Amino acid sequence: MINLNGKATRVEKVLYDVSLLDFIRDQAMLKGTKFGCGQGFCGACTVHLDGIAQRACQLKMSEVRGHKVTTIEGLSALTDDEGLHPVQRAWIAEAVPQCGYCQPGQIMTAAALLAANPTPGDEEIRAGMSGNLCRCGTYSRIHRAVARAAQER
Amino acid sequence: MGKITGTTSFNRRKFLLNSGWLATGLTVLTACKSVIPVLPTTTNPENEDGLAWLQVLVDGRVRFFCPRMEMGQGAPIGLSQIVAEELNLDQAQIECVTPATNQSPPFKMTVGSESIAVFSEPVSLAAATLREYLRERAAATSGLPVGQLKDAPGGFEAAGRHFFGYGDLISEEAIVLHADDYSSVEQYFNAGKNPYNAVGKRWPSPDIENIVTGKVVYSRDVSLPGMLFGDVVRPPRFGATLIDAKVKAETALSNGQVLVIDVVNNLVGVVSDNPFMLADALEKIEPVWALPKDAPGLDKLDIARYRGNGDFEHTLIDNGNEALVGDAGVQSITANYTTSYMAHAAMEPGAAVASVRKSGVEIWCGCQDPYFIRGRVAALLQRDEGDVIIHPLRMGGGFGGRVLSQPAEEAALLSAHVGRPVRVQWNREAEFQHNYFQPKFSHAIDSGLDETGKIAYWHHDFVSSPIIFGLVPKGLASILDTFVADKGTARGAKPPYAIEHQRLRYSDIRTDTPTGAWRGLGAAPNTFAIESIMDELAFAAGKDPLAFRLAHLVGDGQHIAQLSGVLRQVGDLSGWGRSVAKDRGLGIACATYKDQTHVAVVADVAIDHSERQVNVVKLWCAQNSGLVINPDQVENQVLGNLVWGCGMALKEKLTVSDGIVNERNFDTYEILRHEEAPEVDIKLVDTMQAKPLAVGEAAFAPTVAAIANAAFAASGKRPRSLPFNYDSLYT
Ligand code: FES
Ligand code: FES
Repeated sequence: MINLNGKATRVEKVLYDVSLLDFIRDQAMLKGTKFGCGQGFCGACTVHLDGIAQRACQLKMSEVRGHKVTTIEGLSALTDDEGLHPVQRAWIAEAVPQCGYCQPGQIMTAAALLAANPTPGDEEIRAGMSGNLCRCGTYSRIHRAVARAAQER
Repeated sequence: MGKITGTTSFNRRKFLLNSGWLATGLTVLTACKSVIPVLPTTTNPENEDGLAWLQVLVDGRVRFFCPRMEMGQGAPIGLSQIVAEELNLDQAQIECVTPATNQSPPFKMTVGSESIAVFSEPVSLAAATLREYLRERAAATSGLPVGQLKDAPGGFEAAGRHFFGYGDLISEEAIVLHADDYSSVEQYFNAGKNPYNAVGKRWPSPDIENIVTGKVVYSRDVSLPGMLFGDVVRPPRFGATLIDAKVKAETALSNGQVLVIDVVNNLVGVVSDNPFMLADALEKIEPVWALPKDAPGLDKLDIARYRGNGDFEHTLIDNGNEALVGDAGVQSITANYTTSYMAHAAMEPGAAVASVRKSGVEIWCGCQDPYFIRGRVAALLQRDEGDVIIHPLRMGGGFGGRVLSQPAEEAALLSAHVGRPVRVQWNREAEFQHNYFQPKFSHAIDSGLDETGKIAYWHHDFVSSPIIFGLVPKGLASILDTFVADKGTARGAKPPYAIEHQRLRYSDIRTDTPTGAWRGLGAAPNTFAIESIMDELAFAAGKDPLAFRLAHLVGDGQHIAQLSGVLRQVGDLSGWGRSVAKDRGLGIACATYKDQTHVAVVADVAIDHSERQVNVVKLWCAQNSGLVINPDQVENQVLGNLVWGCGMALKEKLTVSDGIVNERNFDTYEILRHEEAPEVDIKLVDTMQAKPLAVGEAAFAPTVAAIANAAFAASGKRPRSLPFNYDSLYT
């Protein structure tokens, strides 16, 4: 079993060797977590494992049994109100996305970063967000959005 | 205003049915041209094409079948704003739809930063024509003269009392508009007439909430009932051909897995009913390949080889003066510059789902030219184009790399074989190894300074590979290559400067390495060479690089004034001329993209000796791209260009040996990371010019050169080969 976005989810034994990313996308059929590189280089597959940002492509299901996994689809449930997570709202306010493909991963990294450090400085944002590649080059808007979310939380 | 008539020209009836028009209201439509199949769709839109893209719904909203693909550049938003401007609508009243290939006549592929620059006019004309047609209907309905029906949000009003909403003016009767005179319809989008002023507003992407919640559907996210999962063993080398394949001895495919061998189409793969077992199954396949005999011939792209005998395929400018070379009064400055093969490296690796049935073929994929994909898939399956429907999806980045969709072709062949829908997803390795690439460029420029510090002559030669014709199939290629100079390879190669004696020659040599469109085509490599030697010349002349450029931008034309204008602006913005700390340097460069958009960039580069690093600290950019439809979208595109420019200058390099790409993932093919991204300061020049111009690739070319020039200013060492880094600079 894993706890996936608050729901107890069964993991068949035959799937123990499958990556968490493949499980999320092709078994749980949640498509918001993205495949970018499959080898831990890009951050597109970032999810929260017990609240910590992790690369889903680098985890096997056998390693995450019994743990709590949150994907982009479950992120807004982490807030008190019904609406979007403050990081998602900041992303909209700063019009961050271009193609958008990297953004679920960016948002998951940012949300975990702010949960651990609610008032990050510029250098902490740069370092904290550097594992997430964006080919469209949205970095400076991502930076602004993280800073905004920190302010508005 | 010209006469707009309702006719029933039903040669387009199929599109009407498919766009749901019969049920929902009025579609404006007229005859459209056909395009040549199985070549990228390159015909520019005619004004009347626009009429097939708009549909008034009975609730008064307007559906816009946007003829541009969304890959993050936001063109559909900008064009929606133009529709809104002409029809007095707000964002909620526009439903922007990406048409499947059976919902719109073919339109030009989404490339070249021309979605707004080229399509704003036909889209605006179509919307304005529709508006005036509706005004005539309001007049007919009310018995009032047309002149009394004034524009109002979502309709017209008469004497400030009666309101006629668009929805009230149409019924479900079958009307097809044929507009036979457009010239006199008044367009608002570039005249600032609409009370809503949709143009110039920061409309958000209609998808933004779905993007930040992970709900947007990209190619990889498509799932059909009964879908199977396929993958392919791709050739081990460019040009390798499949002879046969079998399952390795002592292994077997599982139940529910099928080996597909298609020698004619050079494809061997597996289809599996279980997505998690696909990779293992693929490992069990043993293909037999015939490898090409010839060496891949990369040395063909070395300028030295051509320079000796002056043997170039194309001459763009032929007013050189060899007599000045070595003349006593002329100081000669010569240099060679090279740039590397580069990958698109879009964050979404290619993917597609294909469903091939007797009754028809449907493909879901993100692509820049759905009609080209349709033609290719039809040819591959030996089906009629009319049997094939492409459903284009939002792309997780395009940058020229999605003109083809190889996953769509693979999925189509596999699906044809198994008779069920098949999904093919490329991984990152396939994306690096089997897409097509930006070719490398090898430049040599000889130039000379006269005693007054003016450029006396400029002899520029370069060699690279075809870009626009890079994807043309082999047979056609040999004919094309003989007659046609690839304009993409030469993009941006003419210097904007007034130089009396110029010669510009080049060769576009086809090698085994597949090359094709990549952001800006030749613009960045060519601008890098031009703007680097301009810097070398300025230095040799003892002149300030900004002043030296301005001194060579002489003449009347608007272009000269605008390019000088952005140079001065970026100078002001960056505080050009101020002194900077040791190991810091400012560099400047400028370019005109596609003879329309003028951009100048200043880079601030720092050399960090302890970390052995070159850092781009800040970039300033002044851009004149005419009318700004959506400042957020334009700023985002400029931002993307600046970041991309840093990557090309400092990091990106694809290497090929023996017909194999060596890089497989982002550990070896590096793109810029967040912590390396510079601070940026972007100024979009206020312009009264009423035409929006190319944006998506414009700022990139001068960025690369500005960074190289700044590195020289900081270190005294000139990067002439890209990418460069601390070590290449100091050894
Ligand atoms: S897909 Fe997991 S880090 Fe790139
Ligand atoms: S928005 Fe396109 S990759 Fe980040």
